[in-house]
Amino acid sequence: MQINSESTEVELLCVIVNFGLGSKIMKTSKQTGMRGGTIFLGKGTVSNRILEFFDLSDIRKEIVLMLGEKETVDNTLEELNKKFHFDKPNHGIAFSTSVIDIIGTKSIDSNNINIEKRGAEKTMYNAVFVVVDKGKAEAVIDAAKEAGARGGTIINGRGSGIHETSKLFSMDIEPEKEIVLILAEEKITSLITASIREKLEIDKPGNGIIFVQSVNQTYGLR
Amino acid sequence: MLNVITNKFKEVLYSVVPIVIIVLILNFTITPLETPTLIRFLIGALLIILGLSIFLLGVDIGITPVGNLMGSFLAKSNKIWVVLAAGGLLGFIISIAEPDLHILAGQVNSVTSGMISKFSIVVVVSVGIAVMLALGLFRILFNVPLYKVLIGLYALIFGLALFTSPEFLAISFDASGATTGALTVPFILALAMGVSMLKKDSKASEKDSFGLVAIASAGAIIAVMIMSIVSKADKITSSLEIEISGSNLIIAPFINALPKIIYEVFLALLPLLVIFLVSQKISFKLDKKGFRKILKGFVYSFVGLVYFLVGVNAGFMDVGTAVGYSLASLDNKFYLIFVGFILGLVTILAEPAVHVLTHQIEDVTSGYVKRSAVLGALSIGVGFSVALSMIRILIPGIQLWHYLLPGYIISIVMTYFAPKLFVGIAFDSGGVASGPMTATFILALAQGAAEQIEGANVLVDGFGVIAMVALTPLITLQILGLIFKMKSKKGGLDKDANQF
Repeated sequence: MQINSESTEVELLCVIVNFGLGSKIMKTSKQTGMRGGTIFLGKGTVSNRILEFFDLSDIRKEIVLMLGEKETVDNTLEELNKKFHFDKPNHGIAFSTSVIDIIGTKSIDSNNINIEKRGAEKTMYNAVFVVVDKGKAEAVIDAAKEAGARGGTIINGRGSGIHETSKLFSMDIEPEKEIVLILAEEKITSLITASIREKLEIDKPGNGIIFVQSVNQTYGLR
Repeated sequence: MLNVITNKFKEVLYSVVPIVIIVLILNFTITPLETPTLIRFLIGALLIILGLSIFLLGVDIGITPVGNLMGSFLAKSNKIWVVLAAGGLLGFIISIAEPDLHILAGQVNSVTSGMISKFSIVVVVSVGIAVMLALGLFRILFNVPLYKVLIGLYALIFGLALFTSPEFLAISFDASGATTGALTVPFILALAMGVSMLKKDSKASEKDSFGLVAIASAGAIIAVMIMSIVSKADKITSSLEIEISGSNLIIAPFINALPKIIYEVFLALLPLLVIFLVSQKISFKLDKKGFRKILKGFVYSFVGLVYFLVGVNAGFMDVGTAVGYSLASLDNKFYLIFVGFILGLVTILAEPAVHVLTHQIEDVTSGYVKRSAVLGALSIGVGFSVALSMIRILIPGIQLWHYLLPGYIISIVMTYFAPKLFVGIAFDSGGVASGPMTATFILALAQGAAEQIEGANVLVDGFGVIAMVALTPLITLQILGLIFKMKSKKGGLDKDANQF
């Protein structure tokens, strides 16, 4: 990979909004130069004592992933924030993270990606990803909240470790997983991961994985 | 902050308001209603909005999770006898507790002058459902294509239909509607999803989430047909008294309806609760929080469904009958057909299971198949079915099978062309559409019209309306599938190329 001075930086833009807004986010983003994106469903939680008592704190979310050059991503984020008011409560969140390589899109030349400047930006937030067996996501969120997180987004997924693929009757199956995405301030990230690690015994084999990404920009977090 | 509740509430509001508006328009134009009836209708509408919101929240956190857990538990047992036995047992106890089935069985008992006892019909239909539910689960586990199973089942139904009298034909198709109640459908849908979610092949996982309701309800049809052939009770020997209650009271009907509905909903919910408690002990082993959450879900479902059914029975039913009756008295019979179409269009939106199905479709397809598209297709389908039923009531020469035979042939042939995901969705929505809302409001409308039209038989024409409501969505939703197929073919390449 060549690194030259005219290189571009690529970022992943991730927007989490209430169900039904995903397509609108995508439309607005295309107007500011994003080339496309992927939408999938997730489940968010809200912190509200009354709702928690009634166990009604789940809410359907849509998550939009888009890739683009740093400048486009920045513009898009600003434009989206203007239009969808992420700064107001419950209007969604958006963040961008750095990407090392991109393949399969013509608009960005993968040979010119600059990975030198990585980390130069001042990051305030981290994105914590936790992948666990289905049914444990709520426990992850509880553990994270105890350590100071504001909430999280749960995404259903399938996947398997090296020992897990199997066949039931004539269907190949992959165990169901839940992915929990938590955005947290940098200073409490380690508290959160420690809390999850302890509560869910992540260190034992087969209990899940945690990874943390640094985030370049965020909107909608308070 | 009360996002979750307001979202549900809004969704329900949008689905109940159309029917209220239509009835109000009718009231001020061609079919004036008596004031007490109208006031009861409005109170009923409020109860329905409130009840449906609570019920749907309850289904989300109670019924659906139990179905999902149950489905994956059965599949993970990896023993065929466990799946068949448990599937059968589930099917049997769910349907034997279904209040609608008991009502239908009571009616059949009286129209055959006791030749077919109420008890025997309830048991036979429940056995039919049990066998089919086990078969349906078997199909998902062994990757047997849904359309092949459906073709087999409907071939059997056609064969049996040759030996069944027209009256019983209507009853048996109605039985399929009666067994797919407001609680059963969400549970069976979730069960299928629980099994197929495990699949590695995500395309298969998507499409196999649907079709179980369809297979189960075919079991009811087959059971009643076999029963009528075996017992040789092929004639309707006595007629039913349909009472048109023109009560002038406003609050009393609601209170009077309450005890019976509480009992019925409790009875219908009981098997699901028992299933949950037993499985929790032997397999789910949810933590305290998850356990309590599901129990709360059951409580919400109970409360919500009671409100909903009280609203429908005490508020909507009389309006249905009255509107049907006065429309049929008008000289221009076109009104009856047209208004029937419109009422069909809007009534289906307030059907509880429709909300559950459309949400599951969105969840399973990650929002690719939009709720509004499915709702649109369903609405148009049910609109046509009500209009066609009205034509049948107006013209005595048209018999139910004149609709059913070509209708089912078209739907079966379409299964070859339509995308397989939509085949499952379409056949499931047949069972979904024939829920408590149609079974009371639309049925009352048809019966009110039949009461007025000379030569129409309230009973015979009344039965069969549900059968129609269960048929037309099969066609319209498969058409929707074909539209999706055509659209994605055209733009597919460009879109994929620019992903990201």
